[in-house]
Amino acid sequence: MDGWTGRCLRVNLTERKHAVEEIERERLDKFMGGRGLGVKVCSDELDPGVDPLAPENKLVFVSGPLVGTGAVTGASCNVVTKSALTDTLACAKMRGHFGAELKFAGFDMIIVEGRAESPVILSIADDKIGIQPALEFWGRTTSETEALFKKNLSDPWAGRDTYLVSIGPAGENLVPLANVINDGFLSVGGAGIGAVMGAKNLKAIAVKGSHSISIADGERFVRVVTTLINKLNSAPLTSRSMSSWGSAFFMDRCYQEGILPINNFQASALTESRDMETEGLSRTFALRSRGCFACPVACIKKTDVTHPLFKGKGMAPTYLAIGALGLNCGIWDLTTIAMGNMLCAEMGLDPLAAGGTIATAMELVAKGVASKDSLKLDLRFGEGEGLLQALKLMSTKKGHAKRIGKGARALADECGEPDVFMGVKGLSMAPFDPRVIQGMGLHFATCNFGPHHLYAYTFIDEVLNVHEAHEPSATDGKPELVKRYQDMATVMDSLGLCNWPLMGLKFNNFVPMVNACLGTDFHADDLLKIGERVWNQEKLFNMRVGFDRSHDRLPERFFREPVAGGPARGQVSKLKDMLPAYYALRGWNENGEPKPERLEVLGL
Amino acid sequence: MPKIRIDHTKCTGCRHCEIACSLNHVSGIANPRRARIRVFHEGNVFFPVIAGPFVDAACTSKLQLRIGEQTYDMCLVCRASCPQKPFFIEAGTGFPLKCDFCGIPPNPSCVRWCNSGALELIDD
Repeated sequence: MDGWTGRCLRVNLTERKHAVEEIERERLDKFMGGRGLGVKVCSDELDPGVDPLAPENKLVFVSGPLVGTGAVTGASCNVVTKSALTDTLACAKMRGHFGAELKFAGFDMIIVEGRAESPVILSIADDKIGIQPALEFWGRTTSETEALFKKNLSDPWAGRDTYLVSIGPAGENLVPLANVINDGFLSVGGAGIGAVMGAKNLKAIAVKGSHSISIADGERFVRVVTTLINKLNSAPLTSRSMSSWGSAFFMDRCYQEGILPINNFQASALTESRDMETEGLSRTFALRSRGCFACPVACIKKTDVTHPLFKGKGMAPTYLAIGALGLNCGIWDLTTIAMGNMLCAEMGLDPLAAGGTIATAMELVAKGVASKDSLKLDLRFGEGEGLLQALKLMSTKKGHAKRIGKGARALADECGEPDVFMGVKGLSMAPFDPRVIQGMGLHFATCNFGPHHLYAYTFIDEVLNVHEAHEPSATDGKPELVKRYQDMATVMDSLGLCNWPLMGLKFNNFVPMVNACLGTDFHADDLLKIGERVWNQEKLFNMRVGFDRSHDRLPERFFREPVAGGPARGQVSKLKDMLPAYYALRGWNENGEPKPERLEVLGL
Repeated sequence: MPKIRIDHTKCTGCRHCEIACSLNHVSGIANPRRARIRVFHEGNVFFPVIAGPFVDAACTSKLQLRIGEQTYDMCLVCRASCPQKPFFIEAGTGFPLKCDFCGIPPNPSCVRWCNSGALELIDD
């Protein structure tokens, strides 16, 4: 097969057995790979009512067909499982080099089942699969785990070709906010997956491969990729903004529009602060770029090894980290935010879920319903020290850590103030104010994995106006925009591509690359249909878990409290105006359930 | 004579050059282990190394390379493939791989796909 390896590794940790299986071509044609295939496997093999932390839950690591082929930004490996935080399916988009290495080892997918008796590491070196004891790794941070694993290898050079995905202490301690971390510092989305891995007693997966990936039309593929690199290089956002500062460059635009929430979405940041902008970022960090596999943009910014606080660990904060760990907790100091971000990567916490929990706690304290004594933490808006302490504490097993470690929704419910939880389906909301950016609000309410912007980046058209000009506060055309971005993100995740290049390329630009690589004859619409199929498959799984129309909502604050100032002054969320149109576009009934005829069209 | 200039301060470690090389030498095959360029990672720095000679004995001396504040193992930037550093040997066949400076500009292929500016074709 071209692109795909067509092979899946199924590992049962309870029985310490593994088997190599062929993946049916029909399944790949229908679900592509990556997120799509992972969702399909979970839908077929999981009981929707399964306890996420039970051995019966499965953890699927799956690369897309374009990963490792040299396709522009083809690096993404998705981790799909039932989330310990939200009870929905969860999907982490791991970038870096793990996904490509998995393909070189000869596998599209690893399905992890069961639970090991004691901590183990799964190591894959081509066809040599080992389940080795990991007691000496247990309790270590993600970067320590990676360094120790490489140090223990008998061949000192082998470590240079080995890539790891691991959990930190947070995942080991089954904290639902935990995430999986790859390449020692990278995490994207996927709160609630680290705990699933921890419950399986699986500390890490290490992979090293030497196989080739075949490409259908090599010469055409090289031509198309060259064109795309040049295109990315001539588009201002991908060649300059993203390359220089990563996603943190949105900050400057978000100030102007009043999109950036502060103090747990109680207000928007409007005053520009020189320290918090891209300029401040360049001044605080050396900003050395790190590229994921085959990425010409290289938006990851590493901290400097000579920086006494970081010594190269972690990364310079992204937009999400600045928003979730910083401004939403009232913290305006980049060094503190970066420390928090590094702690998240080291401990294996999801910055969005962890930051959201802390912001919720801070508001509860400000309201007087929680106190320093009840939380065993001094959490007040703007107190950086409290944030860092909370991050350390929430990844431990200590009794009083349980309260803050359970996540924002549990904390708000426990204090009798459920409306203080700023999130949907149990996950805290990404730092975009849905009263100001209406399309993103619609996406937050309807996203199957919870309100994370990376599953539909409508910001590209709503604010940056790259392909189409939309007003952030308008609702016209937004259901269409949201559906298109959701389908686009889904199929790109399934192919294994990163979504950021959409800031410089049209979706159509990717189609020739896909066809040259896979030997297919897809049109853009065919690919979007695959995206829609996967989206519906996710929705069907969530429905079987028990999610319905009432879960496609936004926190009450966004309807009751109008924006206090800035260009969007006086606005509230217009979700209720957009939701029926969105359901109709998707071919769903008024209760947000896919109609049988639509499912038939999608082949589900 | 045209030369490839390597600027390790610009390399992002994306390894697109490795795949470019592999695709250029065997059409339709992507595999870094078949590439005649590899990117080595140390700390926060990446060193693109282009395959040089194949030698059957390792060096008797070990050298350290000091760049700014950091000390590196000299083997990291060495272009040779040796028993101690078994790179640039084709998996399966054991065939030693060496850069053949493929094509005229905009080739070599590694330079063509390098977007960070770490690899540059210069003429002097």
